[in-house]
Amino acid sequence: MNKKLKIYFICGNGLGSSLACQMVVEDVLSKEKIEADLEHESISSAPGLRTDIIVSAENFKMQFEKFEMDPEIHFVFLHNIVSENEIKEKLIPVIKELSE
Amino acid sequence: MVVINFIIQNILTQSAIIIALIALLGLVLQKKSFGTVLTGTFKTLLGFEVLSAGSTVITASLTYFGKIFQHAFHLNGVVPSIEAINGQAMNTLGLGNEIAFTFLGIFIVNIIIARFSPWKYIFLTGQALLWMSTMTVVGGKICGFNTVVTVVLGSIIGGIFAVAMPALAQPFVRKITGNDAIALGHFCTVGYLFEAGAAWIFGERGENKHSVEDIKLPKALEFMQDTYLSVAVVMVPLYLITAAFAGPKWAGVGTTNYMVESFLQAVQFVVGVYVLLAGVRLLLGEIVPAFRGIAMKLVPDAKPALDCPVLFPYSPNAVILGFVTTTIGTVIGMFLMPVMGLAVILPGMLTNFFAGGTAGIFGNVVGGRRGAIIGGVLHGLFITLLPALLVVALQSLGFVNASATDSDTIVAALMYAFIFAPILKAI
Repeated sequence: MNKKLKIYFICGNGLGSSLACQMVVEDVLSKEKIEADLEHESISSAPGLRTDIIVSAENFKMQFEKFEMDPEIHFVFLHNIVSENEIKEKLIPVIKELSE
Repeated sequence: MVVINFIIQNILTQSAIIIALIALLGLVLQKKSFGTVLTGTFKTLLGFEVLSAGSTVITASLTYFGKIFQHAFHLNGVVPSIEAINGQAMNTLGLGNEIAFTFLGIFIVNIIIARFSPWKYIFLTGQALLWMSTMTVVGGKICGFNTVVTVVLGSIIGGIFAVAMPALAQPFVRKITGNDAIALGHFCTVGYLFEAGAAWIFGERGENKHSVEDIKLPKALEFMQDTYLSVAVVMVPLYLITAAFAGPKWAGVGTTNYMVESFLQAVQFVVGVYVLLAGVRLLLGEIVPAFRGIAMKLVPDAKPALDCPVLFPYSPNAVILGFVTTTIGTVIGMFLMPVMGLAVILPGMLTNFFAGGTAGIFGNVVGGRRGAIIGGVLHGLFITLLPALLVVALQSLGFVNASATDSDTIVAALMYAFIFAPILKAI
């Protein structure tokens, strides 16, 4: 792996569910031996974020489409934000693609 | 002796340092690297100070609002905001230490119960635990307990709530998510059960039950998921209308026009909430993962209880409907409370969105569309009644124009005010 990726987790307040998601992803990544910078924030602060990947729940998808987000950012939307399987399925391929 | 006294009087009475030390303990127990321990501890310390700064901003805005509301309507208008109550308790009333120790105590009691009982829930929603420790400490102060009794009793009661509430919600959560993997850790559960009950009585049943998810709701409401925007959408008109009734004499400050002043003050309220929650984010970002790591080791088959938005993707329409109906209920409640001889409780938008949205999911899963609508309005009335009951006790302690939200934390504080305090007096 060349560079350490930055991943932001976004929810309404940036307090509870984004942190819950971040903790599960931390587990998944350490099992896969991937290192990354993990942070969580509120949706209000999302426009203007500089990061490689944004992970959020499906219900926020519409909102992100309204923002003019940096086109370089990759989005991953989860149905169950604390499901290890869904994270492995959707997030890991994105990380692998970006770190090549 | 001099050294010990200095440590006790100058260091251990500083809430920011206590909380940082708790984070330090959690990080060291997890055998994190020296760098991680250092930055984690410092971030927690920083978080507490940011929280305090936000609280100062909220209190200043609420003081202004209380003054103009009084002169506009000759009534006492109370803003329900657990953030404001927490900020005022930690700073103005100097209860930060007790709250920090109770927070730690609730963790410990939670782990003990989960380890030795069939209820394996570990409560991981940090801010909800912070609100619960705040309200049990406030309850202890209502009863006039000393520090030790306040912290020990608060830890036990909070710890019981931390296991009991996810356990009570689980039958519904199982129905909503279709499996047993997620548990709900959010201290508004009494309200959710209330809405579920109302939806069962008034809602649709059997073949007539239609889920809200089958209808299309206007997309325009989606911006409400941005909670700071939704707070502003309500607070700005609320301040402006109140200022218009109060007039320039009371609402104006210096040479600034009174309508402009009230607009800026409303924005200041949102700023305060934003800063305070940014502080909470820093404060809990290290403590919660540390707690999770420790709890998972001690309780091998633990089930983490998580913040309510984890349920939102399962039922997005019900969230919006729950938010709208709960808000309608809180507006009706605002006019109804003074009729019942209670304080005017203004609609609290943060809780209307999170608690109202989650309650909507419960109402929908139990009683379909009609259950979610009728249950939602009743839920709004219910969460207006609870803070109204607490106002007198809070104001006697010196809280300014605010009452709590989050039904479970209020129920805990009401237990102190209406059960423990009278018993103590009788003895």
